[in-house]
Amino acid sequence: MEQFVLHLLRVADWAVLTYFVALNSSYLALIVLASAEFAKHLRRQSFAGSDDMFRSPLTIAVSVIVPAHNEGPGIVAAVLAMTALRYPRYEIVVVDDGSTDDTFDKLKARFDLREVPRVVPADIPYQSHVLSVHVARGDFGALTVIRKTNGGKADALNVGINLARHPLICMVDADSVLDPDALLSVAKPFGDDPLRVAACGGVVRIANGCKVVGGRVVDVRMPKSWLVRIQVVEYLRAFLMSRTGWSRIGGLVVISGAFGVFRRDLVVRIGGMATDTIGEDAELVVRLHHYLRDRGEDYRVIFVAEPVSWSEAPSSIRVLGHQRRRWHRGIAEILSKHRHMILNPKYGRIGLLALPYYVLFELLAPFVELAALVLLPLGLWAGAVDLAFAWRFALVAYGYGLLVSLVALLIEEVSFHRYPRWTDMLRGVAAAILENFGYRQILAVWQVAGAVAAWHGRQAVWGTMTRTGFDDHDHEPTHLETVGS
Amino acid sequence: MVGVFRLVLVILLGVVLLVGAGIIAVRLLRRARNRRLAALAAGPRRSLLAFVADNGEQGAEDLIAIPEDAWRAALPAARSLLGKLRGEAHAALVSVFLHRGAARAALADLRSRSAVRRARAAQLLGDLELRQAVPELCRLLTDRDHEVRVVAVRSLGRIGDPAAAWRLIASLDLHDPVPSLLATHTLVQLGADAEVTLSAALDHPEARVRAVCLDALGLIGATGAAVRMARVLREDGNLDVRVAAAAGLGRLGTRTAYQPLAAALDPTRPPALRAAAARALGDLGSPVAVPALAARLGDGDFHVAHDAALSLRRLGPDGIAALRARAEAEPGTPAAAHCRESLAHAEVPLTGMAAAR
Repeated sequence: MEQFVLHLLRVADWAVLTYFVALNSSYLALIVLASAEFAKHLRRQSFAGSDDMFRSPLTIAVSVIVPAHNEGPGIVAAVLAMTALRYPRYEIVVVDDGSTDDTFDKLKARFDLREVPRVVPADIPYQSHVLSVHVARGDFGALTVIRKTNGGKADALNVGINLARHPLICMVDADSVLDPDALLSVAKPFGDDPLRVAACGGVVRIANGCKVVGGRVVDVRMPKSWLVRIQVVEYLRAFLMSRTGWSRIGGLVVISGAFGVFRRDLVVRIGGMATDTIGEDAELVVRLHHYLRDRGEDYRVIFVAEPVSWSEAPSSIRVLGHQRRRWHRGIAEILSKHRHMILNPKYGRIGLLALPYYVLFELLAPFVELAALVLLPLGLWAGAVDLAFAWRFALVAYGYGLLVSLVALLIEEVSFHRYPRWTDMLRGVAAAILENFGYRQILAVWQVAGAVAAWHGRQAVWGTMTRTGFDDHDHEPTHLETVGS
Repeated sequence: MVGVFRLVLVILLGVVLLVGAGIIAVRLLRRARNRRLAALAAGPRRSLLAFVADNGEQGAEDLIAIPEDAWRAALPAARSLLGKLRGEAHAALVSVFLHRGAARAALADLRSRSAVRRARAAQLLGDLELRQAVPELCRLLTDRDHEVRVVAVRSLGRIGDPAAAWRLIASLDLHDPVPSLLATHTLVQLGADAEVTLSAALDHPEARVRAVCLDALGLIGATGAAVRMARVLREDGNLDVRVAAAAGLGRLGTRTAYQPLAAALDPTRPPALRAAAARALGDLGSPVAVPALAARLGDGDFHVAHDAALSLRRLGPDGIAALRARAEAEPGTPAAAHCRESLAHAEVPLTGMAAAR
C-alpha cells in the first residue's frame, strides 16, 4: 500500500511537471503566432489607409458606450478625452447606472446637459428603469447621458446598446484612456472586411505610472509598485501576445469589456449582454461564436494590437484579489454555460481548440499550480522524490515560465517598444523573475476561490475597487475612486 | 534522471540568458539605427519643409540632388506630405518624386512577387495621382491578395480617372470583393463623369453591384439618374438594393424623387424599406412630404415611426407643426413619444458632430 502511494505521488509529480511544460509551451506557441502577426501589421502600416478612413465620409459610424457607476472623480476627464478621439463619425453614450455620487452632476455641469424625451427602443431586454436621457448642448460631439436605476454593468450596456444610433458599438470602461487613433484602428477591420468582421478587440495596457495629459497618455513608464510591474509583464504575455495569437488562428474568445467594438445588429440578434454572468464581455464573444457557427456564417472575430486603451491596474493585494477572483469566476461561468460547445466539431476551432484550451490551461491551471505546491513537498516528505529532483523540478517549471515572459518582453521590444527607458526595461525583466516568488501562488489561490464560487452559484459581486489614479498632469483630474456596478 | 534535468536546466539557462541579451541587443541596435537615420534625414527634412512652405516654387533641384541614402531616410516624411498636400505644392512634390524615378520603380514593383511591395507601390502611385498608372492599378483589382486589391481601389480613387469605373464595378462581382463602402467612396471620387457608367450598372445582375452604384449616384448628386433609381426602388427584387435606392434618391433631392419615396412608405412594404424611405424624405427636405411622413408616426415598427418623426423635424415649420399637432392630439401614445423626442431635439442647439448626425 505504502509503495502504491509513493508510486502515485511520483506519477502525480511527473504529471504536474508535464502539465507545466505543456502550459508554457502553449504560451510560447501563442507568442510566436503573435510575433508573426505583429510583423505583418508593422510591414503594412504604410498602406493601411487609416488616414483615408478618417477622411472618408462613408466610414462606418460608431457609438461609444460608457457604463459608469460612481465614477464622479474621473468621469469628466474620461468623456473629454473621448470627445477628442480621431474618428470621423461617432457618438458617446454614457450610461449612469444608478450612481450614488456626483457622476451625473459633474457631467451635467461640464457638458451643459439638457434633458430630452427619448423613446428607448426595446431591441434588447433590460431589467432596470431609465430615469432620464440628456444631450450636450455645447460642441462636445454627440454626447448622450442616460440616467437609470442600478442594474449592473451588463444591464447598463444593454440600455446603451438600445439607445446607440450607429451600426458599430464600442464598449469602453469609464476609467479607460484611449490613444487618439484607438477607435480608428479598432473599427478599421469592419471597413476593410464588413461582411465578415463581427467583433474586434483592442489591447488594454496598464496606465499606472504613465503621464496623462489632457486625457492622453503622453509618457509611458513602468509603475512604481512591483505588484503593478508584475501585472505589466502579465498583461503583455497573457493579453497582448496570447489574444493576438488566438486572433491569428481564428480562435479568439475573449474581448475585454474595457475596449471592444461589435456590430450592433449582431449584438441585438443574440440578445445583448448576459446579466447572469460576471464575465459578460467574454460571454458575449463566446455567444457570438455560438450564434454565427450555428448558422454556418463566414465571420471573423479579431484583435488589434495597437493603438491601445490604457487602464488602471489594481495596486493593492486586496483589490487585485477581488479582480482575479472575479475574472476566474467569469471563465468558470462561461465555460459551464457553453459546455456543449467544448469538443463539439460543429463549432470548429472554437469548440475543438480554443474552449478546450481555456478549460485545460486557464480554468485548471491554478488548481494544478496549487496541487504542485502540495504534492511536491508531500513527495519529498514521503520519500517519493528526492531533494535533487524537487529543486530541479521547481527550477524547470518556473524557469520555463520565466523564459516565456522574457520572450514576450523581447517581442514587445522588437515590435512596439512602448517603454523607452532602460530602467523600465530592466524593471520589466526583474518583474518577470519576481512573479514566480509568491505572486503566481497567491494568484492561484484567488483563482481557485473564484472558480469554486461560480460552481457553488454564489451571488456575483463586483465589489468596490479603490484606485490610486493616473499620474495626470492636466487640470481635469482622472483620479478614480471606485468602479463596478 | 537527475542528469537529464541538469541538461534541461543548462539549456534553459542558456536560452534565458540569450533572450535577455537579445532584448538589450535589439534596443541598442534600434537606437543606433534611429540615430543614424535621424542624422541622415535631418537635412532632407528641412529642405522638404522649406519646399512645401514655398508652395513648391523653389528648392526642387535641392530635393532631386539629395543622395539616395539620405532620401531613403527622409522618405516616410516625404510620403506623408504627399498624402496630405493638395494643389500646387502637391504637384511640385510629385514632380520631385518623378525626377527621382519613384514612379518608374513603383510601376515595376506592381509586378513584384511580394504582396507588401505591390501594395506599397500601388499606394505611392495613388499618392502621386499618376494617370498613366490607371491600367496597371486596374489590373491589381483582381490581384490574389485582398490587401493589394484594397490599396489599388483607394489609389484609383485618389487618381480620379473615370475610365476606371467599369473595372471597379466589375471587381465588386468577384468571389472576395473589395469592401462596398470603399468602392462607393472611390466611385464618388471619380466624379460626375462616371455617372453614365454607374447608371448603366443599375441593371447588373449582382445585387451588391447595384447597391454600390446607387449609393455612389446619390453621393455624386447624379440627378440625371433619378428616374432609373426610382425604377429600381419600385421594381428591384432585392430589399438591400431598394433600401439603397431610397437613400440615394433622398440625397439627390430632386422633385421627381418624392413620389417613389412616398410610395415606399406604404404599410405593405417591408419595415426596413419604409424606414429608409422615411429617412430619405427627411433628406429631401421638401414640405410636400409632411402628410406622408405624419401618416407613418403611428407605424407599428419602432424604426419607421422614429425615423418619420426625426425627418418631419428636418422639413421645417410645417414638419414641426405636424409633430406638435400629433403630440397634443394623442398624448400617451408611442407616436406622441416619438414626436416629443423629435421636437426636443429641434430645441437643443446642437453643434459639431451632433448637428451633422
